[in-house]
Amino acid sequence: MVKSLDELVNISFYVLQGAVISIKIYVVTIIFAIPLGMLCAMGKLTKIAPLKWFLEMYTWLFRGTPLLLQLFFTYFGLPLLIGVELSREMAAYLTFIVNYGAYFTEIFRAGIQSIDKGQYEAAKALGMNYRMTMKRIIIPQAVKVILPPTGNEAVTLIKDTALVSVIALADILRNAKSVVSRTASVEGYFVAAALYLIITFIIIKIFKYIEKRFAYYD
Amino acid sequence: MIRRFGMEEIIKVENLHKSFHSLPVLKGIDLKINKGEIVSVIGPSGSGKSTLLRCLNHLETADKGSISFEGNYIAKADATGKAVYKSNKEVLAICSNIGMVFQNFNLFPHKSVLENIIEAPVMVKKMPKEEAESKALGLLEKVGLLEKKDAYPYQLSGGQKQRVAIARALAMEPDIMLFDEPTSALDPELIGEVLQVIKKLAEERMTMIIVTHEMHFAREISDRVIFMDYGRIVVDGTPDDIFVNPEHPRIKTFLNKVL
Repeated sequence: MVKSLDELVNISFYVLQGAVISIKIYVVTIIFAIPLGMLCAMGKLTKIAPLKWFLEMYTWLFRGTPLLLQLFFTYFGLPLLIGVELSREMAAYLTFIVNYGAYFTEIFRAGIQSIDKGQYEAAKALGMNYRMTMKRIIIPQAVKVILPPTGNEAVTLIKDTALVSVIALADILRNAKSVVSRTASVEGYFVAAALYLIITFIIIKIFKYIEKRFAYYD
Repeated sequence: MIRRFGMEEIIKVENLHKSFHSLPVLKGIDLKINKGEIVSVIGPSGSGKSTLLRCLNHLETADKGSISFEGNYIAKADATGKAVYKSNKEVLAICSNIGMVFQNFNLFPHKSVLENIIEAPVMVKKMPKEEAESKALGLLEKVGLLEKKDAYPYQLSGGQKQRVAIARALAMEPDIMLFDEPTSALDPELIGEVLQVIKKLAEERMTMIIVTHEMHFAREISDRVIFMDYGRIVVDGTPDDIFVNPEHPRIKTFLNKVL
């Protein structure tokens, strides 16, 4: 057990420092993976066979293998394979963006496909072209369908950032682990758990708010 | 009802064929619609009525034959009879003069009644928003739903939805209106209000093709009635030809079942 309040504060601050890298990875992933998913979802809905095939391979590969393996591969595998050495942070960003992009692709594709065929027909009968129809009619409705599963991914992502501790990035988990072994007491883990809970709580609240804003119709 | 037409042809269909996965649905349709004509299309389900209507504005792609609108070909048969379409852009531009009302309304659920109506005039015709809105309010008044302008589709009854859908189609100032079973999805007590609006359009001499199961309405409103069966036009005549002196045995059987 920790002996003093002072020590507990020190432990907490040390673990909190790890939140910087966790949140950095989180934000960068969200900012890039969502547009990537959007683009790939649109690509999957085209009639261009090679593009569809390529995107099918992409989502199959990145959803079908462990994120941890992908992270090892990017950081330790790429230098061996093609001589590209990435910094720890870059390797983490890249892996997370591509991995989460694959999940978002499938979520967005399914969301867009859930919109009734009659909506496309009505837009076409009014003279709207494909671009206009997607932008003004289909995607605004798909967003509502897409929000709950996207919120799920957003919560999973903050917990997945803990995986970067295996490539020695000083995130929440790695700092917690090192403080636990240094103090030989369990408080570091509690602090880490509390931090993850606070962050996921905020993410859930944000998504609830957005979902509410899109619930103005039916 | 006797009406005079300047025989100005608005839609011409020649030898139209359409199959869904080797199941032939239209087997050689020839049809001319003149400006100001009100034409009802009746017949048993599966006879190809809706498919014919949907081919006219390219919601379905015909396999063979020609379709032209106001003298412009949307699709033209080549030497083998195959329907060759103009570019998507050209087809879309031509078809934006063809209004369509669907069985299931297909209103945009995320847009208010007013937004539903001004969407296409503003986006497609690039009409200024204020102008589109004042026109939309006029149309809403015409269909009797002015007070619903800020409502969302989920807040409307089926009959109200369909009246908004009619206003939305009219907002593009089409030269012809196609109605694909406009009352089939409605509760019986709501059918009247929609038919009333269509009647109003008839009085204004809007050119219309109406696929319907409302036989009394078809008889009352139409200049011409087309009876379809097994993908062919069996009779194309006056309402009296169909309803008063049906010579063709298939029409007799059909009318006995539905009237």
